[in-house]
Order: sequence, then structure tokens, then C-alpha cells
Amino acid sequence: MYINWQLEELNLKIVYYGPALSGKTTNLEYIYTRVNPKRRGELISLKTYEDRTLYFDFLQLELGKVGGLTPKIHLYTVPGQTYYEASRKLVLRGADGIVFVADSAPEQLSANLKSWQDMKSHLAQFNMSFNNLPVIVQFNKRDLPNAIWIPSLQEFLEVNDSTSFEAIANQGYGVFDTFKAIVNRVVNRVQQEVV
Amino acid sequence: MSKHTYRSHYLRTGLVLKPAQHQEIERLLTKLHGQILAYFILLTDITGQVVTSRGNQEDMDLVALGSLVAGDLAASHEIARLTHQYQADQLVFREGTTVNTFTCEVGFHLALLVQASTDTPLGWARVLIRRAAKELAEITSKRVEEPTDISTSGRSEVALPQEEDWSNLFDDALDDLWLE
Repeated sequence: MYINWQLEELNLKIVYYGPALSGKTTNLEYIYTRVNPKRRGELISLKTYEDRTLYFDFLQLELGKVGGLTPKIHLYTVPGQTYYEASRKLVLRGADGIVFVADSAPEQLSANLKSWQDMKSHLAQFNMSFNNLPVIVQFNKRDLPNAIWIPSLQEFLEVNDSTSFEAIANQGYGVFDTFKAIVNRVVNRVQQEVV
Repeated sequence: MSKHTYRSHYLRTGLVLKPAQHQEIERLLTKLHGQILAYFILLTDITGQVVTSRGNQEDMDLVALGSLVAGDLAASHEIARLTHQYQADQLVFREGTTVNTFTCEVGFHLALLVQASTDTPLGWARVLIRRAAKELAEITSKRVEEPTDISTSGRSEVALPQEEDWSNLFDDALDDLWLE
């Protein structure tokens, strides 16, 4: 979070975290196509030759004035592939909120859990309590015929209805709800911190 | 603190700049720009959010650049940490044939990118950039008494709206963002 009263700006950083191919970049790509072009920057992607995220994807959104400030929201994704763990950790630096994008496929259950635990571990290495950071979980790929039952996923990651959303990110379903939920949680947190 | 551990600010910056601080930063960067004859200067917070810039910005996407500067500096830090060479306030130097690029940590909150001609003596550039970084860090770290009248920004006070209004206003702003 960075507030500049002279420029009347409120800057927030939200990170989309999760296992490989869970749909983090797809979330950002959908947001990019659906928001007013005047309110967004370019979508920056640092990718490998195989079109996989190497370091991060980045998108800035600018909202209209809120209480005299112009909120600028910076959205980042992390690289999901296992061997990019060091990069994944770095992207968390300065995060005000996290969207954890979980894969609903049964064969990805252990990958979800590992990524979830790694995320908590990275936060701990930054001396940051997981419980103090706004986190929303998105259960993506709900259109899979064998998608895991939501209550099972919630129990697995120890989250509830208020902090988790269903999504089919490549069709846009649930993308905005997730985004709105994390922004709301972050701004409430900012309000508590700044006042 | 061990050189192998992180500073807690790496996760959250929580930087709040008052108008007086911003004006001091602007003044300092104008001075640095003139002293070093820099082509381009960019000051961001450690997450890449642009604070201000100087020099030739034609066709530059400052927002994208900010995210990459922050990522670049973070990666350099991590390389240093993993090789057990991490020290605070490190400066990353990228040598070019006509332009040199310096990326420097500025205290706990900011990152400074300076591009200068290779004609500018390296030692001179490094001294000025380090001095500027130190002064910038002092500006951002010091407590500034809240002004009662911020004439330059047009705000009568430095405060966020009440909680309920704040959430509702944000909801409306987010809805406006989305195209039907």
C-alpha cells in the first residue's frame, strides 16, 4: 500500500497465487479484456518460450476517485511451475492482498495443498502472519465434469464461503466477483491501518 | 539482523507520503537530474508503484516500467541473498555502450532507477545516486506533521473517508470499471 496525498493516489498490490496452470494468468487476461480500456494499462507478461509465466504478469487498473483519492490497483500473478519458487516468493513482496487460485481437478489436489502451504511459508519468511493478510480463494475450473466438491476443497484448505468463490476463469465466470471481494477486503484493511 | 533474513518491510510497504514529503522528493530529483545530466530517472516504491520521474519519457509506459524495476531489484536482492552476499542499500549497475543504468534501493520503501550517458564518470554518478538515495530515504522515513491546509493538493485534511462510505464508494468505483 502506498498513499501519496500530494497526487491524491492510493496504490494497492494484489497477487494471484496458486499452482501451475490453475488459471492465474487467465484471470488477469479476462480482467484485461473486460475493463474499460481507459482505466487499465498494458498487460505485461514475462513468459518462457513455451508461453508459461517466467516471473510475473502485471496489470494496473485505475478506478475513479474514491473519497478524493484515485485508487490504482496493481495485479500480479506468480509463476506456478515448481522450479520458479524463488520468483514466486519475490512477487509476494509488498502484497496487500492475495487471491489463491485453486484447481478443482481431483488430480491437482496435492498441488493445491503444496502451493497453499508454500505460500504460507513464504509469508512467514517475510515475518508476515498469514492471518493478518486479506486472502480470497478462488476454486477455478468448476466446469470440469469431475470437479472436486466445494465443501471438500474448503475443508482441505480450511476456508469458508465468505473467503472463497467458484470460477470458470476462461469463461469469465467468477472472475469479477473474486476481484471485487479481494479489493473490498484490502481497502477495509487499509482503512484500519491508516486511520 | 542476519544477512540471510528478510526485512519485514519486504512484504508490505505501507508508505504514506504527505504533500510536503512529495514536494521535497520532487525538488531532490530535479537537482539530481541536473547534476548527473541523466536521460531518465524513475522513482518507484518497492512494489513498482510509480512515485515520480524525470527526463525523456516519450513513448514510455511508466507503469509497466515501474513493475519491472521493482521486479529487477527484487531479483537482484534474492541473488545476493542466495549467494550470501546480501547487504542493505545495494546498487545494481548495468553497463551499456552509450547509456549506463543504475538501480538503487532507497531506504525501506523505494527504488530509484537512473539512466545516464557513459560520458558521465561512473564514480561521480555513483556518489550522486547514493547521496540522493540516502536523502530520499530520510525524507520518506521522517515523520511529517500533518498540515492543516494543503493548498497545493486542494485537500483540507489528510484522512480517509469513514469506513462505511469508503466501502460503498469502492464498490461503485469497481462496478464502473467493468464493461457490460
